[in-house]
Amino acid sequence: MMAARTSAVSAPLALCCLVLAAAILAPLAIPVAVSISDSLFVSFPPKGFTLRWYAQVMADRDFRSTFLFSVQLALLVTGLSVALGVPCAVGLTRFDFPGRQVVLGLILSPIVFPVLVTGVALLQLSSRMGVNDSFLQLLVGHTVICLPYLVRTVSGALHLVVPSSEDAARTLGAGPLTTFRRITLPQIRGGILAGCIFAFITSFDDYAMAMWLADARHFTLPLQIHVFIERSFDPSVAAISALMILFSLALLLLVERILGLNMQRIVAG
Amino acid sequence: MGLQPRRTLADGRALPLHALPPALTGSLLAAPAAIFLVLAFVVPIAEMVGYSVTAHVTQGTTVGGLTLENYARLFRSELYWVVLLRTLRIALVTSLVSIPIAYPLAVVLARGGPFWSRLVMFTVISPLLVLVVVRAYGWKLILAKQGFLSWLIKGVGLSASPPALLYTEWAVVIASAHVFLPFVVLPLAGAIGKIDPAVEEAARTLGAGRWTMFRRIVVPLSLPGLAVGVTLVFSLTASAYVTPQILGGNFAAMLGTLVQQQILSVNDWPFAAALATVLLAMTLLANLVLLRLFERRFGRWVGRGGGR
Repeated sequence: MMAARTSAVSAPLALCCLVLAAAILAPLAIPVAVSISDSLFVSFPPKGFTLRWYAQVMADRDFRSTFLFSVQLALLVTGLSVALGVPCAVGLTRFDFPGRQVVLGLILSPIVFPVLVTGVALLQLSSRMGVNDSFLQLLVGHTVICLPYLVRTVSGALHLVVPSSEDAARTLGAGPLTTFRRITLPQIRGGILAGCIFAFITSFDDYAMAMWLADARHFTLPLQIHVFIERSFDPSVAAISALMILFSLALLLLVERILGLNMQRIVAG
Repeated sequence: MGLQPRRTLADGRALPLHALPPALTGSLLAAPAAIFLVLAFVVPIAEMVGYSVTAHVTQGTTVGGLTLENYARLFRSELYWVVLLRTLRIALVTSLVSIPIAYPLAVVLARGGPFWSRLVMFTVISPLLVLVVVRAYGWKLILAKQGFLSWLIKGVGLSASPPALLYTEWAVVIASAHVFLPFVVLPLAGAIGKIDPAVEEAARTLGAGRWTMFRRIVVPLSLPGLAVGVTLVFSLTASAYVTPQILGGNFAAMLGTLVQQQILSVNDWPFAAALATVLLAMTLLANLVLLRLFERRFGRWVGRGGGR
């Protein structure tokens, strides 16, 4: 995409970037360093070497159950967002209809509205309506904040589809559904996948919505980790952090393999 | 933009969908998502804003009727003022702090060769995949009294007893800037990437150095991207809950904490609704004002320079 003629990175700029990169990655690296420390309290420099914090964390029932619950919730939310978002993106990019701009604004506004506020509003409404199914509330709430990302990435991908390929299929007699399935879908697969990853992470990482809607039986991982942070001062929280960072690293590799540097374009919109 | 679907085909082998006019097909496709958001997003928010002016709590009981009492209370009490101002201050400082951090990264991301842009991409994106709670905890380990930073400062010999940053507003600023950095760097890099290389080449031919070129060409032409990013950082920081909670504790409580207390401890829902409405208004106003401002002042330049 970028012409290479302006590519030279000057030495001061490179140094500046390296320092910033170190600062950006430090909060991810420090917990890993602390997590193998053989001391009862977190302190610097880490002392000795032990893996017992990992063993302790892996055996923790709260950690395991909230992790599994968050993964399940994020998967369901992602599925729901795809079911609602992909048709919506097609409708918004391929057709013109009265109120299209309004719908577009509506779909994207949950990104602009603070999640915390949306969460409070959902909690107030559902408690006044007498709905207290925490799982349903979480599912709905997370879908509200994940759907916009999906519509945005899929719309972006739809704009990049070579128009003549769809035209050709239609001229050759393929119906709109066949054209979508055989011609459009393969071209926007990357966009859908990127949207799914976004939706998954948004749900999995969410604190500001879940703090209102979760209950004891439907507790999400970020809430649980916050409880651990407040409650314990030994390196076990650091071990959890390290495990979560490993999990993210695996996700990142997945993203890189599927999307490559396209991620940048998709994220930047 | 999008191509219009053909409604009539040569052989007439048409699916039922075919017969529908495009306007109807389009609205049918978008309807489920739109209806879902109206029910689960628009209605609750409208209800909440409405609730903040139609009920208030006096002496433990909720009283109905049109009222501005909740808002009056917010401006009457010094405690709430302090929190409101602190929220604005932290959000503003975080936005400002993230600008000088974002520019070098964005320039390298957009203009660096494959190696550098990949490196920066990895650094900027990877934290985005790590839970915010975990990132906040990382900063807690760094900024604590016995933390990494004070160990480093002592080790280098800068100071024998470095001040602890944890549980101060600066801790919240640092962690928020870190958590939301991708939201500035990516739009900024997008804007820089769209600057026509010919403009820079012309400047270079005319004898401009790197710094002059950055100041006179890259900065003005990338301002729209910067505006988007800074606005996002401002709104996200102002409405954050868990990062200020972990790093600021009770010494840097922000609006989000106040809403949480009103609902989960005091049980004053109308007042919480009013606080949430103020938070919402703040965010939307920042978006409106900042983006408008940049659009009006710099829209002209960018319209011409932004050919892809």
